Amino acid sequence: MIASLRSNFVRYLPLLILAAAWEIAARFELVSTTALPPLSDVVRSWVELLLDGDLVRNSAASLFRIAAGLGLSVIIGTIIGIGMAWWKPVNILIAPIVEVLYPVPKSALIPVTVIWLGYGDGSKILLIFLGCMVPVTIGAFNGARASEQVLVWSARSMGAGKLRVLWDVVAPGALPELLNGIRTAVALSFILLVSAELIAAQKGFGFLIGSLGAGGSYSAMYAVVLTVAFLGFAADRAYLMIAKRTLAWREAA
Amino acid sequence: MQSMPPNASTGEPLNGLPEKAARLAVNLMRAFARVFSILVLLAAWQWLSQSGTFTPYQLPSFTAVVGRIWDDATTGDLAINAGLTLYRALAGFAICAVLGIAIGMAMSRSVIANWFFDPIISVGFPMPKIAFLPVIILWLGVYDTAKITMIVFDGIFPVIAATVIGIQGVEKELIWSARNMGASKYEVLRHVVLPAASPQIITGLQVALPLSLIVTVVAEMLMGGYGLGGAMMQAAHFANSTSVFAGIVEIAVIGYVLIKAMALVRRRLLVWHPEANAPATA
Amino acid sequence: MTDPIQPPAQIVVDRVTHMYRPPRGKPVLALDDISLTVQNREFVALLGPSGCGKSTLLYLIGGFLPIEKGAIISDGQKVTGPGPDRGIVFQHFALFPWKTVKHNVLYGMERQSLPKAEREKRAMDFIELVGLHGFEDSYPSQLSGGMRQRCAIARTLAFDPKILLMDEPFGALDAQTRGLMQRELLAIWQRSPMTVLFVTHDVQEAVYLADRVAVMSARPGRIKTIVDTKFDKNDPDIFKNKFFVDKVDEIWNLIREEAIKAQGKRT
Repeated sequence: MIASLRSNFVRYLPLLILAAAWEIAARFELVSTTALPPLSDVVRSWVELLLDGDLVRNSAASLFRIAAGLGLSVIIGTIIGIGMAWWKPVNILIAPIVEVLYPVPKSALIPVTVIWLGYGDGSKILLIFLGCMVPVTIGAFNGARASEQVLVWSARSMGAGKLRVLWDVVAPGALPELLNGIRTAVALSFILLVSAELIAAQKGFGFLIGSLGAGGSYSAMYAVVLTVAFLGFAADRAYLMIAKRTLAWREAA
Repeated sequence: MQSMPPNASTGEPLNGLPEKAARLAVNLMRAFARVFSILVLLAAWQWLSQSGTFTPYQLPSFTAVVGRIWDDATTGDLAINAGLTLYRALAGFAICAVLGIAIGMAMSRSVIANWFFDPIISVGFPMPKIAFLPVIILWLGVYDTAKITMIVFDGIFPVIAATVIGIQGVEKELIWSARNMGASKYEVLRHVVLPAASPQIITGLQVALPLSLIVTVVAEMLMGGYGLGGAMMQAAHFANSTSVFAGIVEIAVIGYVLIKAMALVRRRLLVWHPEANAPATA
Repeated sequence: MTDPIQPPAQIVVDRVTHMYRPPRGKPVLALDDISLTVQNREFVALLGPSGCGKSTLLYLIGGFLPIEKGAIISDGQKVTGPGPDRGIVFQHFALFPWKTVKHNVLYGMERQSLPKAEREKRAMDFIELVGLHGFEDSYPSQLSGGMRQRCAIARTLAFDPKILLMDEPFGALDAQTRGLMQRELLAIWQRSPMTVLFVTHDVQEAVYLADRVAVMSARPGRIKTIVDTKFDKNDPDIFKNKFFVDKVDEIWNLIREEAIKAQGKRT
C-alpha cells in the first residue's frame, strides 16, 4: 500500500514539478503575471467560481450537451455500423457516404449548426452528434465485420434465427472495436463542444472561458481551462474503467 | 471502408456464373453504387433547397454553392485562403511528426526522459487541449505562430504515444540479429527499430492529421485573418450562408485529399507489411 | 597452446551461472554452473524440457546477455558481446519484414569489405543453396514459415560465421516441413562442416542431426549428461536404424523424469 503510494508519487512527480515551476515563475514575476497568473491565484479563483455558481451552471450546460450528442451518436452510429456489416445493400449505399464524411474536419460544421439551430443547446448537440457518429459507425462496422464465421455458423446450427445471431454473436463480437470507436468519440466530443462554445454560445465551458478572457479575469480563465482539461481526462479514465469491466470476458479467455 | 462485408469474400457465384465474372459484376455494382449514393445525396440537397421547406439562408442550393466556389476560385480568394489553411495544417502536422517521433524515441531510450514525459503524456493525451486556445492567444497573439502552436499542442500527443508503443513492441530477436550481423547501436536504431515501429508510428500520424485539420479550422475561426476558417466566420457574420456552405465543401475537399494521400503514403511505405491493403479508416 | 593433432575447441563454456531477473518477483537461478566444450566443426545439440535455460545458454554464447559468473571463450576469444563470428538463427526467424529476401541476405555482408558485385553473387548463391531461387524479391510476409526459415539460414550463412548457433530453428514449422529442413540442414553441414550448437526439445531431431547431445535438466538448468550420437546419418532407413532407435530411447529415459519433474514443479 505504502509502496504503491510511493511509486505513484514518483510517477507523477513531473506534474508536481511543472506545477511548482508555474507557481515560482509567476510568483517571482519571471514571466508576465497577466499571461501566467500564479497557480495559487488560479486555485483561489476556481473556489470563487465554484461558490458563486458560475462554474456549476456552465458545467451542467456543457455536460448535458455532451451527454445528449454523444448518446445519440452512439445509438445511431452503432445501428448503422452493424447494419452495414450485416446487410450488404445497407453497406453498398451508406459506405460511400461514410467514406466521404470521414475526412471532413468536423469543426467546419460549427457555423452551419449555428445557422440551423441558433446559439443554444441544439447546435452543440447536433455538432457533437454529427462529429461523433463517424468513429462510432466505423468502430461498429469493423467489429461486426470481424465476427467469426465459425461462431455465426455454430449459433445457426444450434437453431438460432438471424436476429438472434445478431444479438448473441455479432453484437458482443463487435464490442471491442465499437468501444474503441466510442473512445475516439468521447475525446472528439470535448474538442467539438469547447470549440463550438468558444465560437458561438451563451453558456457552457467555452463561453465562460471566452467571457472571462475578454473581461481580463485571467486567473479565473485559467481555472476554467484546467477544469475542462481535467474533466476531459476524467471522462477518458472513467470510460476506460467501464470498458475494462465490459470486456472482462475477453481478458479471461 | 472499401473493404468487403464478411460474406462477399466467400464469393458465392451469382446465377451460376463463373466466379471471376461474378466478382467483376459485384465490383461494377459497387462502383456504381458508390457514385449513385453520393449523387442521390446531392440531388436530395438540391431538391430540398428548392422545395421551399427551407429558406435559402438555412440551406442554399447545391448549384449556388458550386457557383460560389467557382467565383472564389476565379477571384483568387480560394487560392489564398486554401493555401494558408493548408500551410498551417501541414506545418503544424510536420512539427508534430518530427518533434513527436523525437520525443517518443528519447522516451524509449532514456529512463529519465521516460520518467519526465510519461505522466505528462498520459494526463495530457485525453485532455481537450483546444480549451487552452484563449491561453495561447494571450501568450502568442493571433497570427501563424499561435495557430501552429495550437495545432502542435493538439496533434503531438498521438504521435508520441504511438512512437513509444511502436518501439516497445519491436521484437528483441530482430535487434539481436542485427547486432549479430555487426550493426552498431545507431544502425540498430536506424535500420531496425524505426522501420519495425513504423506501422505504429504511421498510425499515430494518421490520428494526428485529421486532428491538425480540425484544430486549424477552429484556430482560424477564433483568431480570424485569412484562411478558410476565418473566411467562413466572416461569411457567417454577414449571414452569407452560401459562402459558409462553400467553405465547408472546400475544407472537406482538403481534408479528403490529405487523408487519402496519407493512406497512400502508408501503403507505399508499408508494402512489406501483411496489412498493406487494410482499410485506411483507422 | 594449440595442439597440432587435436584441433582447438571452438566454444568453451566455463562454469557459467546465470540468474533470470523477472521485472517483478524474485530472481530465478536459470543456469547453474554449466561447463561445455564444442570442438571445431562439431555439431552439438542442447536438449531439454522447456524452461531449462537452453536458449539462455545460447544467448549467452551469442553475447546477447551479459555473462555474470563464469566465462565463455569462442574461437580463442572471450565473449563480451555479439559478433559476426557467431551467427544465430532464431525460432521465429527474426527476418527484417521490410526487406526482401535478397536484402535480408545482403544485410550481414554490407558490413564486410566485399565488393558490391561479389556480395550480390554470394547472396544469390546462398539463396540458391537453401532453395529460395525465384523468391529473392519477395517480402518475408509473402513466404511460408519453412521458406522464411530458409531465408534466415541463408542470411546467417552468408556472412560466413565460424560458429552457427541455432535456437529451435524448426520449432515453429509443421511436421513435414521440419523433416525436410532437417535433412537439408544436415546435407549443407556435411558438404561444408562448421561448428554448430543447436537448441531443441525434440529428441529425434537432436539424435538425427548432432554428433553429441547435451541433455539438460530444468530448474536450475544443468547439463545432466552428454550422449555421443555420432554415426552414419546417410542411412536411408535411419529412423529404423538400431543405433538411432537405441539412442533416442536412452535419451528419452533420461529426459522423462525431468519432464515430469518440471511439470510437477510448475503446477
